[in-house]
Amino acid sequence: MPSRSRQILLAFVTLLTAAVLCPVNAAAQAVCPLDSLKPIKVSSLEAFKRIPVLDQGRIKPIDTLARNFLLQLSGRSRYQKETATEWFARFLFAPRTTFDDKVFLINNPELLEAINVEPEKKRRYSYHQLEPGYDKILELARVIDKIEDKDRSVVERELLRLFSNLRYYIDFSGAFAYGFPHPDFTLDSLEVRNLLDLSLERNQFSFYDLFEKTDQLAAASAVLRTKEQDQWNETELTLARLISALIFWTNHYANCPLGIIPTQEDLDEHWLSPMDIINLNANVPAYREEVELIRDMTVHYWNGEQVQFDISARAFMNSVNNRLTVKEHAAVDKIPLELAYNSLGLFLWAKLFYGLGLILVLISLLRSSRVITRLILVATFMGFIPHLIALVMRITILSRPPVSNLYETFIFVGLIGVALGLLLEYLNKDQLGTTVANLCGLVFLMIAGKFGSDGDTMQMLVAVLNSNFWLSTHVIAITTGYAGCCVAGVVGHIYILQLLTRQDKSRLEATMNNMLGILGFGLIMTFLGTALGGIWADQSWGRFWGWDPKENGALLIVLWCAIIFHARIGKMIHPLGVAVGCALGLIVVMWAWFGVNLLSVGLHSYGFTSGIANSLGAYVLAELVFLTVSVLILGKRNIKV
Amino acid sequence: MTFRQKLQRNKILKALASLKLTVLCLSLLFILTLWGTVGQVQNGLYLAQERFFHSFFFLAMGFLPFPGAQLVMWVLFVNLTAVALVRYAYTWNRIGILIIHGGLMLFLVSGYVTLHGAVESHLALGEGNAANYSTAFHSWDVAVWKDQETPATGKFVTDVTSVDIMAFKHDRPVVFEDQGITLRLLEYYRNCGAYTGGQTDITYRNASGIQRLEPRGLEKEPGENTPGAIFQAETTTGESFKLLLYGSDTAPTPIETKDGRYNLSLRLKHYPLPFTLKLVDFIMERHPGTDTARAYKSRVAIETNGAWREKVISMNNPLRYKNFTFYQSSYSIDKFNNETSILAVVHNAGQVLPYLATFITFAGLVIHFCMMASRSRKKHA
Repeated sequence: MPSRSRQILLAFVTLLTAAVLCPVNAAAQAVCPLDSLKPIKVSSLEAFKRIPVLDQGRIKPIDTLARNFLLQLSGRSRYQKETATEWFARFLFAPRTTFDDKVFLINNPELLEAINVEPEKKRRYSYHQLEPGYDKILELARVIDKIEDKDRSVVERELLRLFSNLRYYIDFSGAFAYGFPHPDFTLDSLEVRNLLDLSLERNQFSFYDLFEKTDQLAAASAVLRTKEQDQWNETELTLARLISALIFWTNHYANCPLGIIPTQEDLDEHWLSPMDIINLNANVPAYREEVELIRDMTVHYWNGEQVQFDISARAFMNSVNNRLTVKEHAAVDKIPLELAYNSLGLFLWAKLFYGLGLILVLISLLRSSRVITRLILVATFMGFIPHLIALVMRITILSRPPVSNLYETFIFVGLIGVALGLLLEYLNKDQLGTTVANLCGLVFLMIAGKFGSDGDTMQMLVAVLNSNFWLSTHVIAITTGYAGCCVAGVVGHIYILQLLTRQDKSRLEATMNNMLGILGFGLIMTFLGTALGGIWADQSWGRFWGWDPKENGALLIVLWCAIIFHARIGKMIHPLGVAVGCALGLIVVMWAWFGVNLLSVGLHSYGFTSGIANSLGAYVLAELVFLTVSVLILGKRNIKV
Repeated sequence: MTFRQKLQRNKILKALASLKLTVLCLSLLFILTLWGTVGQVQNGLYLAQERFFHSFFFLAMGFLPFPGAQLVMWVLFVNLTAVALVRYAYTWNRIGILIIHGGLMLFLVSGYVTLHGAVESHLALGEGNAANYSTAFHSWDVAVWKDQETPATGKFVTDVTSVDIMAFKHDRPVVFEDQGITLRLLEYYRNCGAYTGGQTDITYRNASGIQRLEPRGLEKEPGENTPGAIFQAETTTGESFKLLLYGSDTAPTPIETKDGRYNLSLRLKHYPLPFTLKLVDFIMERHPGTDTARAYKSRVAIETNGAWREKVISMNNPLRYKNFTFYQSSYSIDKFNNETSILAVVHNAGQVLPYLATFITFAGLVIHFCMMASRSRKKHA
């Protein structure tokens, strides 16, 4: 027997099995109007965006997945006028319409040369632009994959990032393909349509239309086994083509990363894409219903049938909800909160008000008045409140302490910095506190924004971090300590500026007292954090102290504060020296905070882009120049370090 | 004149109690910590610890002697003691400062106790297996046992006589009296490669046929070093020969004495446990849909007076029993899906000290901070 027919026979047996498993659904189906290449689209995605998906170990609304997806690809959370969810819905339901969307961010011009793509002003490229270079990208990525991460050049890293983004895009793009009519399943022959009990009014069908007819297909193609391939007539050839197309599709669209239909296997939670569900087991009625509801959503999306679309989406969620475990239920229950978090954009509001506060501070330098001082305080509070609410929401959504990746530490340190500033303002009422608060809030949230721009900021934790009391206390204490030392450093700068602008003595003294108080607070919290870290290490690894880079970093802060305090008591440094020490303390904090990432050793690695390392270097340089110049100028006026 | 006033006149004590010395020590410690962190990139944690932190002196850039952290901490301890003797004003409003520095002294003491008193080892157990000894990470000893008493896996054979390899000195032979073997160390390498030599004139006795050891530089991870040693051996039969033992010998080397046949091997040190520990089950959980481990834990059982008590060891949740602590450290799964749990075993009498020191120092810091703050408020009011 020729090998091809053996293959088809094999396929046939598979289909026969599938046919036994699948009850027939002969109801007439609405179809996607493929003759227009543009879907009419539904106008509201309210129901769609709250569908739960399992992504990177966490159950989240599709809205969050959409934002992270677009952010990861393009570094932005919108595409032109569309929100992330609108774009993502178009991408899932009508992937072809996104092939010309410029969503792939490529920073490196050298990479563009390598794949022969003309540079664009906005540094973003469409799938159609990149597709011709895909083979080249794949070839290069395979080579680079063998190089150790730390030895990879900037171009190589960028290429790997692009490659994984392209893969991600391609893998997702077929998630709902089973519901669209496709040329693979075009049937001009009326006879075949009749044989398979398909609609006679149209000639274009989807994978799923055919998949539903597997037993008819099996019956009709029984004749293929009795004949040699060269004796097949037109109808039989069409049947064979359909079978091989079905098999090709099941393999081609397998392992899609969109986990949208929950399954239970060996008590493990697995959420699969519709296509993988079809592959796995389509005879579970709930699975089948959910696969069909997604197909219905696709069709209604294309036809712009809002009501039907929403009904299908809700029915889908209903069906999923009925099958969840208790743990999954708890996660799904938090989806409304997460949607609120996503849509409120609280950090943006916080940044705006902190920025406004800073502008008011600058105005007050020119022309001070009570009204402006009041307004500054109001702006600080208006920034602080959304900042705090956002943090609390994150804690609730993730059910864990708010500091477990670099992004979160910036948010948290910023918040503590603002709180300390407000405390200073409450104690002294001299505008020093609000100045510090707005500066800390704005700067830290901006930095956090940089770190948040490469995908999900709500990741799950690895085993060693996934614990209890000690993690929360240790990390919170140490980051509070960072915040204290940072605020002391900012006040140190203000003190130096006050010296330079010849402020009066009582004002200087007040600033100095505040600086010492905050530095003391920073020392206490860093010490506590360091020691709690030791206790945590003792609990999990059996040693209190092991000179690990992260431990050393925390110790450096403690030592630095201790040196400042002792040198001051021993009259080895003057007030200016204390201020300079606090300012330099900022660099020590930076080292402790991400020095580990720069060194890329030790247990903690959060991922660190070289761009950020460069700006850190620039900051250190600028700081050193500022301090040297200030000390030289003040030295001429006989003010000693 | 009180005794304290007499002390305060002592120039040496006065110099030792100086704040300048404190600041110098803190600065040195700052530099060492930073340097030791950066040094880890090239040499790994273990070697950096040895060089910068556990040492009294080390050579910077190969020629410049630089004080190591151990020396600096000793000086800090002396400095603190001298300050306590001659400089502190023991008054109520200094109580915070006193408590802080008391706590810090306790930290230094606990560091000393841990450095010299704590023993770390590990225990790799397959599911269903039990053991009553643990194995060192990287300390080696020479073990001697009678031939017929082959140690069964997972069982500590008490008839094994072992001597720490560090106890062997070139000029002082070690005598295994009961076995009638005397070993004098000729050469020892902490890390070396082993080679089989020519077939004809065998000079070293070694069961694996190793005839040559070639020293290598130390590995970043101390556990990856394989030591080798050459001894001059004499037995009660009057025989004298050169014995070569290598850390990864495939078989122990037998020696005949009047008593009979003995096996010798250079092996990772074994530490007997005063009880037996059994791995009942190893459990690993992943975050759904990913390969990231959410948690892994071992259900173990310990034998207490003939009865077995079960306990789950997980991350941050060790088993403490009879001054021993067992931590979930790692695991391995072989190609037949056999799970092995690796537990770290720590025996540290001073384990509670850093907890105490943390509490005392933190309390002192808080007290001092509050007192300073309220004083500053009063001054301004």
